[in-house]
Amino acid sequence: MIGIIFGVLVPYIAFAIFVAGVVYKFIYWAKSAVPLKIPTTSGQQKSLKFIKRTIYDRFDSPFTKWETAVRMILEIFAFRSLLKNTRYYLDRLSQKDARWLWLFAILFHYSLLLVLIRHTKFFFEPVPSFVEMLSELEAFKGVFIPSIYVSGLAIIAALLLLWFRRIFLSRERCISLPSDHFALIVLLAITISGNVMRYFIKVDISAVKGLLLSLMTFDIAKAVEFANAIEPMFYIHFALGSFLLAYFPFSKLMHAGGIFLSPTRNMPNNNRAERHVNPWNPPYKGITWQEYYEAYKDQLDEIAESGYKVKPEVM
Amino acid sequence: METHAAEKIRIEQRFPSWRELLKPNTNFKPGYYHYSFRISDAKYLELPFVREWSPVDKDWKLPPNWKEIFLTKMKEYLEKFRSFKLFMDICVRCGACADKCHYYIGTGDPKNMPVARAELIRSIYRRYFTPAGKLGKIAGARDLTEDVVKELYYYAYQCSLCRRCSVFCPYGIDTAEVTWIMRMLLKEIGVVHRFSLISIASSARTGNHLGLLPGGIAGALQSVAEDVYTITGIEIEVPINKKGAEILFVAPSADFFATPHWYVCMGYLMLFHEIGLDYTWSTYASEGGNFGTFISYELAQKLNAKIYQEAERLGVKWILGGECGHMWRDKHQYLATMNEPAKNLEDPVSPITGTYFENAASTKMVHIAEFVADLIAHKKIKLDPTRNDKWIVTLHDACNYARAMGLLEEPRYVIKNVCRFFYEMPEHTIREKSYCCGSGGGLLTEEVMDLRMRGGMPRAMALREVHKKYGVNFLCTLCAIDKAAFPHLLEYWKLPVAVGGMMELVGNALIMKGEKERTTDLRGEPLIRRD
Repeated sequence: MIGIIFGVLVPYIAFAIFVAGVVYKFIYWAKSAVPLKIPTTSGQQKSLKFIKRTIYDRFDSPFTKWETAVRMILEIFAFRSLLKNTRYYLDRLSQKDARWLWLFAILFHYSLLLVLIRHTKFFFEPVPSFVEMLSELEAFKGVFIPSIYVSGLAIIAALLLLWFRRIFLSRERCISLPSDHFALIVLLAITISGNVMRYFIKVDISAVKGLLLSLMTFDIAKAVEFANAIEPMFYIHFALGSFLLAYFPFSKLMHAGGIFLSPTRNMPNNNRAERHVNPWNPPYKGITWQEYYEAYKDQLDEIAESGYKVKPEVM
Repeated sequence: METHAAEKIRIEQRFPSWRELLKPNTNFKPGYYHYSFRISDAKYLELPFVREWSPVDKDWKLPPNWKEIFLTKMKEYLEKFRSFKLFMDICVRCGACADKCHYYIGTGDPKNMPVARAELIRSIYRRYFTPAGKLGKIAGARDLTEDVVKELYYYAYQCSLCRRCSVFCPYGIDTAEVTWIMRMLLKEIGVVHRFSLISIASSARTGNHLGLLPGGIAGALQSVAEDVYTITGIEIEVPINKKGAEILFVAPSADFFATPHWYVCMGYLMLFHEIGLDYTWSTYASEGGNFGTFISYELAQKLNAKIYQEAERLGVKWILGGECGHMWRDKHQYLATMNEPAKNLEDPVSPITGTYFENAASTKMVHIAEFVADLIAHKKIKLDPTRNDKWIVTLHDACNYARAMGLLEEPRYVIKNVCRFFYEMPEHTIREKSYCCGSGGGLLTEEVMDLRMRGGMPRAMALREVHKKYGVNFLCTLCAIDKAAFPHLLEYWKLPVAVGGMMELVGNALIMKGEKERTTDLRGEPLIRRD
């Protein structure tokens, strides 16, 4: 029974919610207008020939599409804005670089990426060679027996560090909502259960792979068969993972998608060179020159009489 | 006899729980809240629900269906501004922005953290526009009540829209955008502050924030020309409303009257005379700044539309803009979107050097620092930087042109050519990381003086560092609000540093044909030479 529910039904539903949710969210965001071009410039604009722009200026204050693309890539893959982070020390009345958050975030996200890549071995037959190679590399194959995947442990460490920030730093504690803790707890539970399964309470890996392959080919009968053969330990990991998938589009985890649409980052700083059109730009409402002229006729005529200029009165 | 000991300034940091942070704070402190609008301004601008009310009253006399209006308008703005919708959804509360806000640093009020400021409205968004919001508090959602409206008003006007937090945010969430929309929503239910509206109403009526009539502008420019005559012995004719001029020049109206803006205005006149520029001032488009951008899209458009209208009427080829901060956010990012550029405008080409300002090809508006830097690079003006020897200069990058335009090197290029002693403030306080003066975004008003002085603290401390280290005695800034705000701020933080603009330094250094020997600078103070 557990097998059918958590091995077949729940993952299907969760995946459907995930896909539909992400698509919905993108459409929901994309259908809102972008009335203004509002890049946050963090470097020298492109202006005169002799005003030099460094390579950083070109990314941080991009003028062309390509430069903007590089800015986005750096933001997404290197968390460039977080890398600039500083900390203000009230006792010294000054600030210093503070890159801990960047480090923890990079550690978490890249570990997650490696872990996800490794998990593709459950979805492909034969396993792509680069996945094999990557797994062997990060496990330092041959050093430990059984192999220890660094990313699997690093991700737990990173999650704990990120959580400790929210628990022990007063400012971060104050702004953390229950949902912020919740996301970290779910991720911790998933990663810990995964590691437990790998090193302590082993499950039948070939059955797991069989389950996933048959789920992917919609071979329900076979999937149920495999699902019933797998130990319950697997379902802790699998059910939590399914839950996270379904939770993803409706939570702050959607920042992963949102960053692509962020108007302060994905627009070039070429405002004065290329006009941006607002689809709902209202017509001008206000006085006209004619009305202005009629209101201040005497004074404006006086300026006209003196030949549209003033001269200093020199004694 | 009673004696008063100097009061010690304390920054009390508080770290309430997330539950407490969700509760609206309606305890308005004097020195932090803004007065309500004047009836006359609100009526002139045709705002909804014009009535007498005060932020300290218990009853704000909101319209009976205020909640419905607020939520309907919120839905509308979510559709109209992708930025708003996205920023409501993707914040992860990592806290990177928290200590980047000068108001948070200076006041210690947790709700001045950019993330918390956005949470004020995000909690409403969750409650009414997301499924999880039905769970209430536990999902970080809260009901829209009158107390929440009061809190939104209190904190929406404690942000100077400086965008410093947006530089550090990993998703580029721009609090200026969120605050802007909070102010728009409040406007819809008749809740607007006094200061900006006075200037917006004046500017809508007379063409400039100060409410100067055409005769007043002509008189002011005449007085500036007289001051230039006193110092240089040169009689300068100042063109106003002149049809067929090549260039329309637009500066913030403070340059006509305020100090030290006045010296900047002298600098403009001297430079344009010296290079023989065919240009004109306008009394109709007599304001570069745009306080409308502090309140709403429509009000911003109401004010900046006049520039293109006047460019068309006068038949100029392109537009040159003076020293101002938010003016350049408006001109760089808003002007050509809110209004179609006048048809008669041509590509901006400097008549003196022949340089084509490619980066202004569509908007047709060039910044004075770009224009002057180009003149200097082509050696079209003679400069004597020793005339600025009295000043040991540092540059404050004004928020809006640093973070919404990227004008960083041009003013430095000019300053390094017109004075001999220039030092930078610490690296985390300049360029795109520049700290606000604490008075931008509609906060340049007396009633929030405490907030302004505290908000300006990080900037003042950075300045103190170079003042002590290098003896810096001149804070150069290309922003009219800065020039008005800094004298108070530096007095408050006990820094004997003068404040002035780039064009004042240019005016001092500019060698003019037929000038008498200069004995004083533009301020009328004796010249000092350091060797």
